[in-house]
Amino acid sequence: MERESRGRLQPVLGFAALLSTATLASLADTASPAPLPAAATRAVDFARDIRPLLDRHCVECHGPTQQKSGFRLDDRTAAFKGGDSYSPAIRPGDSANSPLIHLVSGRVPDMRMPSEGQPLSPEQIGLLRAWIDQGAPWTAEAPKPDPVLSHWAFRPVNRPTPPTTTASQGVIQNPIDAFISEKRSAKNLTAAPEADRTTLIRRLYTVVLGVPPTPEEVDRFVRDTEPQAFERLVDRALADNHYGERWARHWLDVIRFAETNGFETNRERPNAWRFRDYVIASLNQDKPWDQFVREQIAGDAVGVDVGTGFLVGGPFDIVKSPDPVLTAQQRADELDDMVATTGTAFLGLTLGCARCHSHKFDPISQREYYAMAAVFAGVQHGDRPLPLPPAQKEHLDSLDARIRERESQLQRFAKSPAPSPGKLRPAVTSTLNTDAFTPVEARHVRFTIRAASGGEPCIDELEVWSGNRNVALASAGTRATASGTLPGYDIHRLEHINDGRSGNARSWISNESGRGWIALAFARSERIERVVWGRDREGQFRDRVATDYVVEVSNDGTTWQTVASSSDREPFSGATQPTGPVYHFELFSDADARQGRDWLADLERLRKERKEAANTPAVWAGNFSQPAPTHRLHRGDPMQKREVVPPATPTVFQPVSLSTNTPEKERRLALARWITDPGNPLTPRVIVNRLWQHHFGVGLVDTPNDFGRAGSPPSHPELLDWLASELVHPAGGSTTPWSLKHIHRLVLTSATWRQSAAPRPDGIATDAASRLLWRFPPRRMEAEAIRDGILAVSGSLDGTRGGPGFFLHDVDRENVYHYHPKEEFGPGESRRMIYAFKVRMEQDSIFGSFDCPDGSLVVPRRSLSTTPLQALNLFNSRFILRQSELFAARLAREAGPQPQAQIQRAWLLAFHRPASPAEESDAVTFAQSSGMPALCRAVLNSNEFLFIP
Amino acid sequence: MNRPVSSLHRTLLDRRRFLGDTGLGLGAIALTHLLSRQGLLGANVSGKDPIRPLIQPGHPYAPRTAHFKPRAKNVLVIFCSGACSHLDTFDYKPELIRRNGQPMPGNEKLITFQGEQGALTRSPWEFRPRGQSGKMISDLLPHLAELADDLCFIHSMQGKTNTHGPGENYMSTGQTLDGFPSMGAWISYALGSDDQSLPAYVAIPDPRGKPQNSVNNWAPGFLPAAFQGTDFNATKPIRNLARPQGITGSEDRATRAFLQRLNEHHAAAYPGDSELAARIASYELAARMQVTVPEVTDLSTEPAHILKLYGADEGGSKILETRAAYARNCILARRLVEKGVRFVQLFNGAYQTGGEGVSNWDGHKELLKQYGVHGPVLDKPTAGLLIDLKQRGLLEDTLVVWCTEFGRMPTFQKGSQGRDHNPAGFTCWLAGAGVKKGFSYGATDEFGYKSVENVVTVHDFHATLLHLLGLDHERLTYYHNGLERRLTDVDGHVVHDIFA
Repeated sequence: MERESRGRLQPVLGFAALLSTATLASLADTASPAPLPAAATRAVDFARDIRPLLDRHCVECHGPTQQKSGFRLDDRTAAFKGGDSYSPAIRPGDSANSPLIHLVSGRVPDMRMPSEGQPLSPEQIGLLRAWIDQGAPWTAEAPKPDPVLSHWAFRPVNRPTPPTTTASQGVIQNPIDAFISEKRSAKNLTAAPEADRTTLIRRLYTVVLGVPPTPEEVDRFVRDTEPQAFERLVDRALADNHYGERWARHWLDVIRFAETNGFETNRERPNAWRFRDYVIASLNQDKPWDQFVREQIAGDAVGVDVGTGFLVGGPFDIVKSPDPVLTAQQRADELDDMVATTGTAFLGLTLGCARCHSHKFDPISQREYYAMAAVFAGVQHGDRPLPLPPAQKEHLDSLDARIRERESQLQRFAKSPAPSPGKLRPAVTSTLNTDAFTPVEARHVRFTIRAASGGEPCIDELEVWSGNRNVALASAGTRATASGTLPGYDIHRLEHINDGRSGNARSWISNESGRGWIALAFARSERIERVVWGRDREGQFRDRVATDYVVEVSNDGTTWQTVASSSDREPFSGATQPTGPVYHFELFSDADARQGRDWLADLERLRKERKEAANTPAVWAGNFSQPAPTHRLHRGDPMQKREVVPPATPTVFQPVSLSTNTPEKERRLALARWITDPGNPLTPRVIVNRLWQHHFGVGLVDTPNDFGRAGSPPSHPELLDWLASELVHPAGGSTTPWSLKHIHRLVLTSATWRQSAAPRPDGIATDAASRLLWRFPPRRMEAEAIRDGILAVSGSLDGTRGGPGFFLHDVDRENVYHYHPKEEFGPGESRRMIYAFKVRMEQDSIFGSFDCPDGSLVVPRRSLSTTPLQALNLFNSRFILRQSELFAARLAREAGPQPQAQIQRAWLLAFHRPASPAEESDAVTFAQSSGMPALCRAVLNSNEFLFIP
Repeated sequence: MNRPVSSLHRTLLDRRRFLGDTGLGLGAIALTHLLSRQGLLGANVSGKDPIRPLIQPGHPYAPRTAHFKPRAKNVLVIFCSGACSHLDTFDYKPELIRRNGQPMPGNEKLITFQGEQGALTRSPWEFRPRGQSGKMISDLLPHLAELADDLCFIHSMQGKTNTHGPGENYMSTGQTLDGFPSMGAWISYALGSDDQSLPAYVAIPDPRGKPQNSVNNWAPGFLPAAFQGTDFNATKPIRNLARPQGITGSEDRATRAFLQRLNEHHAAAYPGDSELAARIASYELAARMQVTVPEVTDLSTEPAHILKLYGADEGGSKILETRAAYARNCILARRLVEKGVRFVQLFNGAYQTGGEGVSNWDGHKELLKQYGVHGPVLDKPTAGLLIDLKQRGLLEDTLVVWCTEFGRMPTFQKGSQGRDHNPAGFTCWLAGAGVKKGFSYGATDEFGYKSVENVVTVHDFHATLLHLLGLDHERLTYYHNGLERRLTDVDGHVVHDIFA
């Protein structure tokens, strides 16, 4: 983005305003006497020299999508004709007097074109001049290719026929192998032999489950002589709950999920874990991918509310301010996070690139970006109570009816002071009172106390609410004054009245007995609707309660209007809790009174039951409301609103356009349906590529979040399309469409996946990255698989599934939350790492250094770097020493006292193979001198343990 | 936004690919590395295409060649967390003093971060001319003021957010959002380091705790974790650096040797695999760090006059003790620079257990009282650090950067005795390698509210720092999530006028 005007520049004038005041020629004469760059001397070819220059520098603003100043440079007639303010723009044969040259040369003050990006170089201007001087020939060109259909990823998915292969090209288990084999053979490479069974089960468990197999599982598989032994093992693995725990991590990386807000306060989202559990469960039950996508964008519309945790999973700055610029910027960033994440996660489209200007490479205009922003414009970050299940809702309704019945039956026993019997509000309490009123615009609020329950009245906090904001807070810029303050007490001060903290020790006390007032002056006019106050919210002190008071508002600080008072409250009774009407059964006959008391007992029981029945869990899944119209923002600047943009989908595939009146929920639902339309070519390609990536380390497209022109083309385009087609339209009649497990099964049972990982000189020489899959590419495990694997091998992995996460940090919950990585872990903290409370910014002390993302940005593919800090953490941390001791204890427990047996057991648990005699003897010698825990420490640090074979 | 890159470029960091493309084995890596050091590979890249550093898998911190001849070899950043007021330190505004107590013309109803603004308020500290240059600097920082002739001020800094988290992100990473690589990560990615037994990039948190946006200030973002800032200071060592308690040195060595044998046995099945070799090498580097880091953090060998120069020898009051603790971090910073660490980031001010203004420069409420603490804590140790670097000749190669996330308002907040946030104008300064001395560049308006003359955005600032290190900010890129990302995003202009 070009910087905004700098101090020394004049504000940029519009084309029309500028050019209507003077002719271009005279402007050029007076404003910029510098000579124009010289025209090139060679013959210029329009197609070779000029067209690319116009396309690159001009056409974005003056082309098919936008015609700023009514000018376009992609079409001969329009280009010669000129724009709104001058004509013609090009004078053939006279470049020195062609407005186009003046504009690109910076001769017009503050109007140098292009207005964004680098100015044209003198050489480029020289070419343009030479072209004009040579008569500005605009040679007819072949029609430009359709920007959508000319790019592979936007074309419809067709189902390619698998190539036929010969026996020499290797084993063909399924069409995957045929596609791989064809490309591999073309480079004169052959397939590797199938890996041995130990390797296969170890690889399968690591890739699919993220935990190693037990020696017994290995043994069973190695000895399984039945046909299809591996296929059955694959089926068992895919049915294991560990599968969801492993693969949810991959998806949560892609959608930047974490459980704190990020930014400076970084506070917790204690209800976000339900979304993590939902992702795990969805994968485990093999929820069709299209359904899973729809739930994440519009789960509230399809009865799966938790799904929209996706929309609000990203960082969220809770530091709000009265500064309108900051507020607008924060909101624009929130929407950008939703638009960009939706684009990359489901579509492999970098929609975020069109925030400031139309996409440089892909057919996505800036307007389309804001149409997407309009889809999400009604989404706000926050917890949302999950809706009650229908049965619970029915139960509540019936309870409500019974409560209302009892209340009306009891009405006759209520004390009936004039003028409106039974309508009095509850008496004030010492803890907390609310005075609501019709919303009113005010700059000032005054709370005047006319009587108190004893002594000088005390208020610990006075809140004034506008929607969900307490505008009384001093930190919001509100200033408090008072009739007077009891002198000499640090705990009773005027500034405590609006400091956001309650309790006697942070309170204000009047300097007069039974009376006093507080006035609040807001930083600006506020639309306020209720006042909340108490004497001591902590409930310790019940004296000094304001019992007779009036709440007034004012706009000028002189004329006041009463909005609430104690006059419609029950008389003060000394209660600490808000109370309902008071019933006076003693005034009635015994029979009536008995009936009344029974009703009251029943009413209280019903209320208690209702409270419990209404208890509904919340989830960090956002809140929705009908938004104001969305505007295009010039250069992405939230202070530069342009035209209104109604919600719509991108146009790369049969677009859906909505109106500015479309209800909020329908917008998201329409987008979700568009993304999951079986004809959308991106959605299935993008997800099968992600699956491929996590099997082989690199996707068929190695830019998994960018399937656009700036991304990489697929290494095996036909295979990608075959898999995408197989996902949406599986060949076998019994397979459900959009089943991820179906694709997993195809990959896992392919000969390609089962190959040995051993390197071969010919393969390394031709294709060291193993993209052609002449072997299974080995790689280091990710952070989570390492931690889980260590716990599994030491025998301490806690298999508890789901629920709130355990903490890898100690947390200081100040205004700003501080997370201190733990070094020692207690019970419940040996669960799989997917269940660790995911903190933004502060990484786990050991595994953070293993390229573990923190959820601040989407991470389509993790780095796998190697650093000395990793070595220090894995070799020296308390965690690893503790696990080594547990591992050693397990060996003694399971293998008995003989060191040889313990060594063999260690090798089976960690490496899934027996130690060779040489290894055994070396290990025994080492263990006898340094101890078995030292041996375990080395084993847990070894490459063999940490690499997927 | 950037141009598409070929997938060859994109995978240069992929070690196996790298091996395959350039021949076999570590010899080829060494050769390629040598070529790159001589700039021969870089010369083949035309225009503004990315220049990708060639990372040796086993030696991520090996020195790498710059894009062009650098003016500085390494960087020491002093970051004042909480937004240090330019108006009470280095930006002298006579008009602000003259109009003290009056509303700011044209901005009478200004709403800033915390709300409504009161009157223009002069600094409680007097400004005086300093050194040969006569630079006006306030009495808040008397020791630093003495060094005016060595400093190169940029008075026209401009940020784009007025809240701390995004502000610190912006200054440290070039983006207001969380999750992007810090400047030090970019630089150690590009250049490696001159010392092979210390991390290339060290962050030294304030003795009182972490800065406002915490580890984001030295995070690797999407760059490989090897390039994250390693954080430690004079009192808090690198986590897990020390040999664990209860394990003797000989046991530890024996375990390493046994691990080495396990890895060699395993590597035999994967001949030539550089990832495996890199992991083996990382344990060797870790072992060297176990020796060198305690040496560098052991300040007991520093003579008394050096401790005195920094103010590390004084105590007796809370301020002096905090100052001494920060001073020890300053000495540590010098020792790291001496060792050739590429990027050292020294923090002054912490968010921890302090909140607003108590342990950092966020002076909203009682400027006089708050800065009355922070000024003395910063002043003498930082001045001592500069003097010490200079007397050891380290300023020849080292660029010192003093910065903060944004400035503060020339007005006091309504009903308060302090200044609100102000990203529209603030001051940073540079010293040492490659920059002018006793020089001031750019200016804010007459009150110090907005930068108006020779505005330097944070992107410009970063572009300039990279240029001093011989790096073209438009060509230092890393592919992430569909984009060739840069420290300077899509902006940034090098401020050539400040170069010596």
